[in-house]
Amino acid sequence: MRLRGLLWFNAVFSIMPVALLAGAVVEGRVELSKSHSAPVQAKRYEIVTKGGVLSTQPPLAVVYLDGAFPHPASVPTKEVTQKDLTFVPALLPIRVGTRVEFPNLDDTYHNIFSYSPAKRFDLGRYRAEERPIPAEVFDKPGLITLRCDIHEHMRGLILVLNTSYFVMTDTDGHFRLNGLPAGRYKLKAWIDSRTTREKPVELKDGQTLHVDFP
Amino acid sequence: MRSAVQARDEGVASFRTRLFTAIMVIVVTLTALGFYLAQRKVTADAERNLQENFQAEISSLHKVEELRHAALAERCNILAAKPRIHAAIEDNAIDLLYPSAKDELRDLMEGDEPPPEQAARSLHARFYRFLDSTGAVIKPPNTYDVGELDPKTEAQLALSRLPDTQQIGYIRESSEADRGTIDEVIAVPIFSSYTGDVISALVIGFKPLELEEKNTEVGMRSGVWVNGHLHLPSLPKSAQASLSKKIASSVANSDREQDNFRVNVDGAPQLLFYKRLNPGSLFPAAYEICVYPLAYSMAQLHRLRWQIGGAGALLLLGGFIASHVVALRFSAPVKKLALDSEENRAQRKRAEAALASTTQELERSTRYSADASHQLKSPVAVLRIGLETLLTHEGFKQEVYEELSALLHQTHRLTGVIDDLLLLSRVDAGHLQIAPTPVNLSQLVDEWLDDLSALPDSPDVKIEKEFAAGLFVAGEKRYTSLIVQNLLENARKYNRPGGLIRVSASRAGGTRNVVLSVGNTGRTIPPGENIFERFHHRSTPSAASGHGIGLNLARELARLHGGDLCLVRSENDWTEFQVRFPAADGVNAVA
Repeated sequence: MRLRGLLWFNAVFSIMPVALLAGAVVEGRVELSKSHSAPVQAKRYEIVTKGGVLSTQPPLAVVYLDGAFPHPASVPTKEVTQKDLTFVPALLPIRVGTRVEFPNLDDTYHNIFSYSPAKRFDLGRYRAEERPIPAEVFDKPGLITLRCDIHEHMRGLILVLNTSYFVMTDTDGHFRLNGLPAGRYKLKAWIDSRTTREKPVELKDGQTLHVDFP
Repeated sequence: MRSAVQARDEGVASFRTRLFTAIMVIVVTLTALGFYLAQRKVTADAERNLQENFQAEISSLHKVEELRHAALAERCNILAAKPRIHAAIEDNAIDLLYPSAKDELRDLMEGDEPPPEQAARSLHARFYRFLDSTGAVIKPPNTYDVGELDPKTEAQLALSRLPDTQQIGYIRESSEADRGTIDEVIAVPIFSSYTGDVISALVIGFKPLELEEKNTEVGMRSGVWVNGHLHLPSLPKSAQASLSKKIASSVANSDREQDNFRVNVDGAPQLLFYKRLNPGSLFPAAYEICVYPLAYSMAQLHRLRWQIGGAGALLLLGGFIASHVVALRFSAPVKKLALDSEENRAQRKRAEAALASTTQELERSTRYSADASHQLKSPVAVLRIGLETLLTHEGFKQEVYEELSALLHQTHRLTGVIDDLLLLSRVDAGHLQIAPTPVNLSQLVDEWLDDLSALPDSPDVKIEKEFAAGLFVAGEKRYTSLIVQNLLENARKYNRPGGLIRVSASRAGGTRNVVLSVGNTGRTIPPGENIFERFHHRSTPSAASGHGIGLNLARELARLHGGDLCLVRSENDWTEFQVRFPAADGVNAVA
């Protein structure tokens, strides 16, 4: 009962800043790495490795405002599903402390695990009917590589961030961050596992700042 | 003569010796050649057989090994591709590497060790380790799960760099003091799922396959030489150490991956084969070693040597006999030739001596004849001339003239006797040779008949002639003439008054002879009387005179002509002689 209340509260709280508190806005474009495959129409994103670097395909970036923000009282639960032997979404940015569920939508077993320093876990083998849905709480920032012990080609990424102010670009690299608190921060763009660009920004309420990451 | 015989014998002996020596040399050469070839063949055969044996062993081993390696590699590759192992390496979770691997390799490592006889066949791993990006061994958190290895052995698993293909290696565990064990290790690369680079390697150790010691009759012993150490448990340790050095030097001096050489183990000759087990591997070179005792082939060789030696000896003996026989056979004609030539020489000498003496004798005899002729005839001639001179004197009484005339006649007779005797002596001496020419016998007979009729004291005899004119015989005219004269004179001399002389001559039918028959009437010759004897005188006295050598001489001369003279009959008032001459057909006419 208490848990349900907390969840509800979390959901409301997470929407509030964007909807009600008119903060600063940052918008712009991140120069994404060139994609070689036909991109936009593909709704499925995959994690690809190129030269030891993990990134999404088609390329996407995560833009986030780095800084010391107070922990929110609650964070919403997110979901990374396994569908057709891929992780959906392939890249999931989350706030530290977020609980992520890994529902299996395939007809086969999956065994999601991570050896990444930011979070090691092993969900063991489970099927779609598995209840409760296997989930993990990510309480350390960092990039987590999701693997399946059964399907060695499956890769997923979870980007655990200290901040709640983040957004994924579209496939062209455009982004827009709303309801940001005023102040001096670093705006960062995570492009792939090796590349995170940053720019200092000074945000003022009601202002829209345009930042491009070359 | 003695020295000549000796020299001849020596010559024959030396010929025989040389022939025998030549045959001996050939036989000995052949035997030696046979020896050499057989020995070479046996040695080569033995080595080839052992080599084939080794190759068969090693190839069968290699087939099994290949299959095993392929199976192992497949498993290892599957293991190396395991997401957890990849995750541990790629996601920088080395601490989770061995624990993850423990799960993944559980089926390879777990379970009781199979019984020793199956150990080599199974894919049961003894241990495993991961190599880091430099090729060094990543230390496991505990050695229990990954198979215990002492640090020295573990260090042998390290490679100078990470391999990008499967590598086979052999390492020696020297934990046990007296005899180490050999482990076969397979290193498989682990490729990054991000970059495709080799990020690690999994090294798994197994009990190695060992050559089955099934060739017990050959006594083959096999082992592994790796990194300067020979692992051949069936050999004593000292022998292993010395062999190991030899292998090391052979391996160092030869870039061949397999070879063989002879060694002595405990004083027994052995043939050692080696072949690289892991060609091209990053691990230290390991060689399969097989040691075959050569005692068997040595014994074979020994036996064969005896056989060949025996055969050679037999051959030699045969050669000896053969050469002896051949030499004898060859030398017999030579000896005979030598003897013959010796005899010839002796004969020639004798002949020469005889010839010389004959010539001397002939000369002497000729001289004697001439001398005798001179000595005898001269007084007769003097006597005759004296008598003839006396006859020319007038004033002697008629009786004296008659007597002188008779004496003169006797001198004529004496001359004839001397001539006959001289001729006969030449015939006897064999010095008289007939030089045959065609002689007209008809004419000769006619002439003599004329002479007979002209003789003053010829009795009244009738002469019948029955021969054709121009009958030629082969003879020398004066001797032929003597024969005819003698026969006709006898026929006249021993005839009776009013008698008959019949002379017939004809070519004897079917022969190449001419036969002259002279028959006369008168007193016959008593049977048993040898009228052809020299100085024979008729037993019955008669008026007819003769000195007793005429018939003998005639016969000798007829025989010299190649014919003969014989008495055909003497009876009923008829005595007939027959003389045979060769016809003159084959003689070239001279006149």
